[in-house]
Amino acid sequence: MSEENYIPKYEFRLFGQSFPELEKLIGEKAGFIRNRRMDDVYLLTAADNENNVKIRNGKMDMKVLEETFEGLERWTPYMIGEFPMETEVIKSTVFPALGIPSPAFNRTEYKLNQFLNELVYHDPDLFVAYTSKSRKEYEFNECELEITDVTINSACIKTICIESESYEKVLETKAILNISEDEENVNYPTALKKIMGLIKIPGIWENIM
Amino acid sequence: MAKKEELKIGEISKPRFEFRTFGRDFEEAAFLMSRLSVPVPEKVWERTSEEYYIVSKTNDINNTKIRDGKMDIKTFVQEVDGLEQWNPLMKAEFPISAEILKNEVYPAFMVDVPDFEKDTYSYDEFMEMIKNHPDLQAVKVEKQRFGYMVNDTICEVANVWINGAMVITVNSESTEVEDIKKTITALGLEGVENINYLQAIKRVLGWIDKPLAN
Repeated sequence: MSEENYIPKYEFRLFGQSFPELEKLIGEKAGFIRNRRMDDVYLLTAADNENNVKIRNGKMDMKVLEETFEGLERWTPYMIGEFPMETEVIKSTVFPALGIPSPAFNRTEYKLNQFLNELVYHDPDLFVAYTSKSRKEYEFNECELEITDVTINSACIKTICIESESYEKVLETKAILNISEDEENVNYPTALKKIMGLIKIPGIWENIM
Repeated sequence: MAKKEELKIGEISKPRFEFRTFGRDFEEAAFLMSRLSVPVPEKVWERTSEEYYIVSKTNDINNTKIRDGKMDIKTFVQEVDGLEQWNPLMKAEFPISAEILKNEVYPAFMVDVPDFEKDTYSYDEFMEMIKNHPDLQAVKVEKQRFGYMVNDTICEVANVWINGAMVITVNSESTEVEDIKKTITALGLEGVENINYLQAIKRVLGWIDKPLAN
């Protein structure tokens, strides 16, 4: 799907070690679509929470948090960047999205390995999360559902997500799956930052085991 | 030949050497450990704990953790045949005096020592200082440990949650290097990288760009 006709979806996501009842319910009620595996490299800082910056399949993949509504989040892709990437794009788009000042640039464009080795790994304010995702995808009640085992810098966690263009459908699906209204909606950058100690662990995160 | 010290789980001995590694899957080593172990005291069958490790960007030789309001710092002594030996450096209970923080704790972190405005610091006050220091990080580590004794070495397999994300660790420790090496072989862990807690935590935090053992 191209960026032009992509309609941002409302999303509710949980992270934790184990969701046996929820997984059982999804298995019973939802239609299984497929398994997918993907490796993503997330770029994170302590500064910003409204941008999701990752590298997938050798491309820069950036999303911005468009809206929070009824406890749901709507993220919009705003750049799928190919490498080599022009320095001007890195300076004007990537680093501002990360919420930190741009470093000094020695090239007019950067290949992926140059970007990582020369701009990312040496920046004391930038942290890298290597993630490997094993995702089971389902459909239910006009929503897309996923149950994903994620390794983050080799440590394991699980995430379950409900998403749809319709926020009503997401809320309805949450209710059908007995997900409490008190459950915290945790997006990927926030979960990664919590694990990597970039943001404080709130009390509710104590319950994730 | 000097008589070997008899190791007892849960009791203090002279400094031990340790092989430890971290990863996602040590099912085979855990199975072998359980089958090769002599019976161990019931108190070590399963132990759980919640600790905070204080990691420092500038230091890999002192290991600081806080459990039940007590601070425990160990220091790296030597490496022999790939096995690490750590010695206790200090133990202190909160509230801790500024004097001890200034002269013992912060030097162990090997970072700039902050100004101390009080004579003593409670646990909460100390953790606030850690939070505000750019080179230090408090990391929540929860452990579920299963103890064994293989080849006269103290062994464990443990589920460990580092800020909520799970890894598995297996270890063998003893005062006798050769006993640990025999145990590594018996558990099928030859060639597996020796990774201590500090290294594992820093890798998960993204401070060290290196994966765990598997």
